[in-house]
Parts: sequence; C-alpha cells; structure tokens
Amino acid sequence: MDGLMFSLKKEDDSVQLDDFYDVVVIGGGPAGLTAAIYASRAKLKTLIIEKEEIGGEAAATDMIENYPGFPEGINGHALADRMVEQAKRFGAVVYYGYPTNFDFSSQPKTFQLEGKTISAQTIIIATGTSPKMLNVPGERELKGRGVSYCATCDAPIFAGKDIAVIGCGNSGLQEGLFILKFVKSIKFIEFLPTIQAEKILQDKIQAHENTTCFVNHQVISINGKDRVESITMKDRESGEEKVIPAEGVFIYVGLIPNTDAFKGQLKLNDWGYIVTDDNLMTSVPGVFAAGDVRDKGLRQVATAIGDGAVAAVAAEHFVESVQQKKK
Amino acid sequence: MAHIQEEDRNYLTKEFEKMVNPVKLVFFTQKFECQYCELTHELLGELSELSDKINVEVYDFVENKEKAEQYNIARIPAIVVEGEKDYGIRFYGVPAGYEFSTLVEDIIDVSKGTTTLADETKEALKKLEKPVHIQVFITLTCPYCPRAVRMAHQMAMESELVTGDMVEASEYPQLSNRYGVSAVPKIVINENVSFEGALPEANYLEKVLEGEGASKKS
Repeated sequence: MDGLMFSLKKEDDSVQLDDFYDVVVIGGGPAGLTAAIYASRAKLKTLIIEKEEIGGEAAATDMIENYPGFPEGINGHALADRMVEQAKRFGAVVYYGYPTNFDFSSQPKTFQLEGKTISAQTIIIATGTSPKMLNVPGERELKGRGVSYCATCDAPIFAGKDIAVIGCGNSGLQEGLFILKFVKSIKFIEFLPTIQAEKILQDKIQAHENTTCFVNHQVISINGKDRVESITMKDRESGEEKVIPAEGVFIYVGLIPNTDAFKGQLKLNDWGYIVTDDNLMTSVPGVFAAGDVRDKGLRQVATAIGDGAVAAVAAEHFVESVQQKKK
Repeated sequence: MAHIQEEDRNYLTKEFEKMVNPVKLVFFTQKFECQYCELTHELLGELSELSDKINVEVYDFVENKEKAEQYNIARIPAIVVEGEKDYGIRFYGVPAGYEFSTLVEDIIDVSKGTTTLADETKEALKKLEKPVHIQVFITLTCPYCPRAVRMAHQMAMESELVTGDMVEASEYPQLSNRYGVSAVPKIVINENVSFEGALPEANYLEKVLEGEGASKKS
C-alpha cells in the first residue's frame, strides 16, 4: 500500500484571533505561505487564513519534480509543511476558516471571520484555483461516486480497477503516474489532437503497459446508476461514438480562479483572474494578489513562491507608508 | 527497521512532554488475515517508547472477545485512545501516512482531557440526547482527511454520546462499498447523514446535529 510512510505535521492548531493585523494572507498554498514567511520575518503581524488544508493545490500533488532544491522531487504536502513551519518560526499565525464580507473601500480593510470583524492594513490574496468541471451529463450526479478531482485522496479506493483520466496536460499525466500505483489500468482521454503534457511525463506514462491514450476525443457523458460504470466519448475526426468501461474518472481539464468573494471589488480579467501591477498590487491599493489566482503566464510552485515574496515586500512598503502618514 | 524516523522521534519526544495524564492505546489485533495488524502493533510499540505516559494494551480480536465487546470493536486492526475514560475515539486501519499526525494529536488531547473545539461547538455537543456515531472514511494519502478525523475525535471527547471512527477505506472494501465510498474524506453520521470533504467546524457540527435529529425520528 502506498502512503505507508509516517508523515508528521508539526503544527499547533490552537489559535486565538486578534482584531487587527498588518498583513492578512488569504490562502495557505505556496504563494500565501511564502508571503507569510517574508511578512512575519519583516516583523509584521501576520495572519494566514486557510479554508481547507495548508498547501493548496500543491498539497494534493504526490510528487513535485521541478521545484528547485529537491533533486529527487518532493511530495507537495511535505513541502507545504516545511513552509508552514518556517512561517510560524517568524511568528505568523495560521487560522482555518472561511473569511467573508470583504470591505476594501476604507483603510484599514475589513472582513468577517467566525462572526468577528477583523481589520488589516494589507491583504494578500493567494486563494489559488479549483479544478474545472468538464460539464457533461453524469459528472455532477456521480461526483464522489467515481468522479474525482483529487488523485492523492481517492486513487487508493480504486485499487485493482479500470479507470479513466480526462485531460492529458501536465496535471493529468502527473496524477496519472500516482494513480497507476493502485489501479489495474488507465485510459487517458484528451480533447485536443495531441498530448499537451511535457515529454518527460509522456515517456513515463508510456512506459506503463496498462495505459491507453485517446487523443482528439470528446467526452460526451459519464454513465452509471449509483456509481460510474462507463464513459461515452466521440472521436472528433470520424464522429464515431464509443462507450468505454471505467469504474472511476479523474478529471484534469483546467482550473478556475477562486475569486468569487472579491467580484466587484477588484479588477479581474475575462477569466476571473486578479489583475495586478508589477508589485502585485491589485486595482485596490493595499490589496495584493499572489500565485495561481493572479493573471499571469505560468502557474507553478516556483512562480507562486516568487509572487509570495514580491507581494509581501510590497505589502511591507504599503504598511510603512500608512504609518508615515499617521505621523 | 524503525518506522518512525530519527528526526520525528526527537520531535515527538518533546511533543509528548505536553502530556499530563497517562494515555492507554488499546490495540485489537489478530494473527491471521490482517495485513496491517503487525505494522500497526510495531508502530504503537515505537510510540510508547517515546513517553512513559503512553501505554499499549494488546488484545486478540478473537481470543479476547469480551474485551472487544466491552470496547464495541467491529474490526481489526483497531486502536482505542483511552485517557481517564474511554471517550469513544477509534482508529480502524493503520494510522500511517497523514493520519499518523492525527494519532499523535489525539494522544496529547486525551492526555490533557481538553480539545481545541470552539465554545459554541462544545455547548451544542453538551445538548445532544441521542448517541451519534461518526465514521470518517479516509485514505492515507489524502491531505484533507486528517482534519475530518480530528473533528470527529474531538467531538467524541466533548460528548459521551459521540463515538468517532477513523476508517481507512482501502483496508475495509466491504464497509466502504456499503457506504458507497469513492471519494474521501467521506463522513457518515448515524447511517443516515453523510457528506464528503473537510467541512469547517460549524458546518460539520450542523451535520452531526442533523444526524442526531434523524435518528430521533427513527
């Protein structure tokens, strides 16, 4: 069984919330945690709010191979644990909850958390992205009944079964490698005529005999009564429809930014990502955005970390300028 | 070979200094047809070496049937984390991977006799009238699962009526099948309420109350 290492989380989750912070980081992924490391090391009073689990999308990645400094690759959750430890060492506080009612119209900014109003000189939004749905019949109905968006969570449940992975980008193939540790076979289905993932990942997948890849195929529906039983797909060239048996479907067809809470208050691009300047300041002074949630070209742990550092230093300057004005 | 790495042993030795009262890990095992019983046993042995406040009691699921009944143990491997009393904290399956931390945190909580749940949650749990059985289905590689298990265990500590089970889904395929588990964490409350995902405390509590309410009607 995979996962039989003994992974130890070194954190204390008993936290008391204060009313006021210099920097509030929304989202505990690599961008947010890096911002918190920089901000707390600069002696700013720093709070990180995480809704689910530290590490963001990276935490659900079994192996990150292209983050510098880890020649053997590193588990995304393990990497995040180290970042949390580092942020806490400098005094940053992690709180688990859902912040709501953001008000960026005055200085300091305010929001609600657990029925409490919290003020912040600066806010760094690092809320990342969520997996995009395929939007085909059966997907919503069978979510949690064979349709999954988290391979590290659910793959062990499909031990010895035939499953499908939709989307042959980097995520699909990287997660496919993890899923292959458990399942009997994987059928990969890609909408575009070619596989989009990096060559190194393609080679690794092809080295497994129990994988098949269908390119230029469109998923029409996911079928099953109480559980996923099969997938109907269409060959986009010939128009032919095929039904392939599958007891599980893992979907990796892209991402959507987690920006609903900020709509109408910040400038977003056409796809909902937050628009920033070179210092990662959003359309509202004192509100910054970092990591995958930001309008940018490459979404990787490496770029998220760079964003976190830039945003935190910019936030530090902003806090200083506010304090100057007060004097 | 030791299962707990040297670096982690040092960390845990320090962490266990926070312990107040002794904690008993009551372990149920079987000599055959139990793939992870031996590993779980070895792990508990290593943990108990790290603090003189941690004691392990081992029972055979078949030979010590009356003990299994006393603790209401349904399957093996099973661990009960017991302090001044049996709070209703259960681990079914090996607490490895991300769940190792859950076991460590439970041991410390039980030793202190306190949880980090919000006061509102504690109050609501005090008002429970019917037994609530929370089963949290997990996998060892699921980063969102430990919080869901911890919540169930902390609620078990705060209410005599609550029992909280961690269930490692892949070790008990039949049970997982019965509840239709194909995404984790999956939380089943009193057979009649279930949800997936690591809900925040307030929402989790709502589901627990809903589960209790549904059982009242039946």
